[in-house]
Amino acid sequence: MSGSGYRPAFSEAFNPDSLPILDPISPIEDVSEEWAWGGARGRGVRVGIIDSGVEEGHRMVGPVDGWLAASMAAGDVRLSSQPHEDAMGHGTACAGIVRSHAPDCELYSIRVLGPGASTGEAFIAGLRWAIENGMHVCNLSLGTTKKAYYAALHELADLAYFRNVILVTAANNFPISSFPCEYASVISVAAHEGRDPETYYYNPMPPVEFGAPGINVRVAWRGGGTSLVTGNSFAAPHVTGFVARLLEKHPDLTSFQVKSVLRALAANMRREEL
Amino acid sequence: MGDRSLDELLASANETIAAQSRELERLQADAALVERFREALRVAATGAAVGSPVSHTRLLEMVVETAVHIISANAGALLLLDEESDELVFAVAVGGKSEEVKSFRVPLGHGVAGLVAASGQPMAIAGTDSVETAQEIAEGIGYQPRSVLCVPLFYGGEVVGVLELLDKLDAEAFYPDDIGALSLFANQAAVAIAQSKAHQGALGILRSALVGLGEDAGELREVVREVATDIEGDEAHRQEIELARLVHEVASRGPEERAACKAILRALAAYVSSPAGTRTGNVG
Repeated sequence: MSGSGYRPAFSEAFNPDSLPILDPISPIEDVSEEWAWGGARGRGVRVGIIDSGVEEGHRMVGPVDGWLAASMAAGDVRLSSQPHEDAMGHGTACAGIVRSHAPDCELYSIRVLGPGASTGEAFIAGLRWAIENGMHVCNLSLGTTKKAYYAALHELADLAYFRNVILVTAANNFPISSFPCEYASVISVAAHEGRDPETYYYNPMPPVEFGAPGINVRVAWRGGGTSLVTGNSFAAPHVTGFVARLLEKHPDLTSFQVKSVLRALAANMRREEL
Repeated sequence: MGDRSLDELLASANETIAAQSRELERLQADAALVERFREALRVAATGAAVGSPVSHTRLLEMVVETAVHIISANAGALLLLDEESDELVFAVAVGGKSEEVKSFRVPLGHGVAGLVAASGQPMAIAGTDSVETAQEIAEGIGYQPRSVLCVPLFYGGEVVGVLELLDKLDAEAFYPDDIGALSLFANQAAVAIAQSKAHQGALGILRSALVGLGEDAGELREVVREVATDIEGDEAHRQEIELARLVHEVASRGPEERAACKAILRALAAYVSSPAGTRTGNVG
């Protein structure tokens, strides 16, 4: 076998001639908020809001940079890049929270919930579009409990992970098995009762790894209004916003590095001992 | 103590004793009621094979009534998923102008109820500036709620409907704890509804719906009382239960008795279901 040129599958990547040389980052525990996202506003970072649509021009949301709506037509998924409305307010709420953390990010409304959509197929089509069309981070304050979609969603979550498209998902509000929030390849978030939007925690007992405000919080809603809401849906967009800021300063971070940085900067980290 | 006469002390002691015995009586009444409920459930379980003591619609109403009562809401509604059309169909509503909601439909993904059904995520909202947000509820119930709590009904890992409560009493919004409590209740209710749909006898099923709420039996007293009254008031049902008891008595004697009982009843069933003109005298 020696000298024959044969290599096991995937081993070419580690050939000394083609081995990529990596830029170092600080030892992970030395990461500071200043290093991670100090002064960042999410500029140049494309954020996909995979939800019920986003109301463009809402005072808490501002402009929407791109559109995709997945809907069902005669059993098939149809994609449209025409601007659309928010079917109920949920997507606008998530977009407003992301915007509050990353005012300069590019928001993309990827509508998979609403009349004519709201199927596993529409959800999968919207998520695939996001991964394949340049989103850097996606907010998924939704999921499915249908086992039929487990494999397809798992495959997409892994694809996103390998392409460094960060998927931030809301844990289900009720302890029932749902996807994609339970996959190791996504960042899963649940609500804590705190009010400070910058305070988030790391949970060393996955599947839910992070906690952010999401209980009785005031959020943007459709029709230019606001609503007082409770749910993990409204916790995830905080983390999406942090990731948008982080990726502005460090666009080459991998999925696992992003998660490590988030953990290092969690409010329950004993940073004074560093 | 020196300021009070012996008479006063005695009177006070008597008062305490009287209060305690009133409390004791109340507790005994509760215990008796719980016992009565247990008996009703036992009878219903026996009678489940021959008849449903509570109609499916009544069961749905009871689910919403119980939820409204436990969570302290002004009104509530239950919507079931029509998988053919991917729409939620208003099944029952309590409070509001509930008689107007029949056959109202909400597309999946539309409004709070549609979103909860589509996402499987419970949701609480309040203080909504936009009247459109809860439009499907406003139309269905006949008024605009200030606060909404909506949870999915899961059965076999799939969403089969949603339970929606409107206007938390004496508060601006539903409490976070309400979400957990109602979700738990909804899951119990979903099992009951699915089983009732499968004609397995609604009362035996209500038991499973209420298992998770066992510690709050006092809370459910009104519902329980209604159920018990429903059962006792229905003469036809009482006779069916009597039949079931007889079958049970015979069948419990052994396999031969069971086989004989089955053969006789099967022949009788075949006899009564055949056209009258073709009936023969032979039922053996």
